[in-house]
Amino acid sequence: MVNKVKVNLKLNGERFSAEIDPRMLLCDFIRDVAGLTGTHIGCMTGNCGACTVLMNGRTVKSCTILAAQANGSDITTIEGLSKGLELNPIQRAFHKRYAVQCGYCTPGMIITAHYLLSLGKTLSRQEIREHISGNLCRCTGYQNIIDAIEELLRDKGLLR
Amino acid sequence: MVSLYDIQVFTPRTLEEALELLDKMGGRTKIIAGGTDLIIQMRHGLAPRRDLINIYGLRELRYIREEHGMVRIGALTTFSEIAASEPIQKHVPFLAEAANTIGSIQIMNKATIGGNLVNASPAADSLPPLYVLDASVKIVGRKGERTVSIERFYKGYKKMDIAPDEILAEISFKIPDTDGRGLFFKHGLRLGDAISVVNGAVWMRRREGVIEDVKISLGAVAPTVVRARRSEEILKGAKPDDENLRQAARAVIHDISPIDDVRGSAGYRAEMAVNYVYMALKRLVMGR
Repeated sequence: MVNKVKVNLKLNGERFSAEIDPRMLLCDFIRDVAGLTGTHIGCMTGNCGACTVLMNGRTVKSCTILAAQANGSDITTIEGLSKGLELNPIQRAFHKRYAVQCGYCTPGMIITAHYLLSLGKTLSRQEIREHISGNLCRCTGYQNIIDAIEELLRDKGLLR
Repeated sequence: MVSLYDIQVFTPRTLEEALELLDKMGGRTKIIAGGTDLIIQMRHGLAPRRDLINIYGLRELRYIREEHGMVRIGALTTFSEIAASEPIQKHVPFLAEAANTIGSIQIMNKATIGGNLVNASPAADSLPPLYVLDASVKIVGRKGERTVSIERFYKGYKKMDIAPDEILAEISFKIPDTDGRGLFFKHGLRLGDAISVVNGAVWMRRREGVIEDVKISLGAVAPTVVRARRSEEILKGAKPDDENLRQAARAVIHDISPIDDVRGSAGYRAEMAVNYVYMALKRLVMGR
């Protein structure tokens, strides 16, 4: 029968390990095994970006990765960006700019925004659009999302 | 949607271990690298469900090296790494540009160049630049290694010169002459994460008012990426005037055999191939 594999990783700064089916995807691992349901699953085809998480500091779509492939890596989900109920600056900017409609894409958008800010690059509004092109908002509420990211970049002097 | 419930995943720690595993069960397994194509293909029943050998963590296959006038790229190098690489940006900026258009950032952060090559889509964005660079791939197996030119590596639609117990380990090419210039183009139907309707690359060197050397490749218009050899012949030694460029661009139809699919008809693809090659040649000649 199917063997189990052991996955050891760092999840939002803490060690986490579990025995799982080898075929399990990282998004299912995060939600069903680790119980962190902030990471959403949209299309399961690598298109929508709702399941975006940070893997070793870089954004990846967790539906296109086997959990076994994340063994030994450092994973950050939306839960890892805030301290309990205290929102981080990106979440506050999204809140302030109403960058949320139904909210389904929001965790992925915020992880992508976090990564974009971590690059420390000076960006134009058009470049922000290109950077978030892997995250779809079915409500098409892009303008406020881009406004929020623009404001964050402006605060850091990184808006062109 | 197909469940992957009975799939096993083996994760070797070294290339040697991976080759041993392949030797034992090569025909019954599939190698997984970044997985951005394979996982989705398996779940949609487009790829046979097989046990997986997960080589994604093999650091020894993740590098970009410049040595003796060559650039060597380890098969597991991601497109983010290629797009940001200094030697790539300096010597072959059109390959960096192609890497940048592979998909969204999340895909570029995970997808590997070796994976893109063995997925063997004729629309793969990394391939046209490698065709004009006359790149080679290094194939390793337990019995040894061999090097094959990229054009010979592809034998037909998704058919490659690689055995089930071998791994594509490296892509290499000679650094092109500094007095030449290359360019990558891609025609997709949307801006983000688009699959190419037509893509291609052109490399050109001019001297004393004529085109001394030129290489043109096109993707998504034949079972494999192709070199537009007829167009190249027309341009070699010719003046880069508008008439010659147009004639050469029209000649791409001799080397392509596009098909109809969800992204475009064969006729549309042929017309786009001609137009894009013309625009690329023109941009190179105008120095833009």
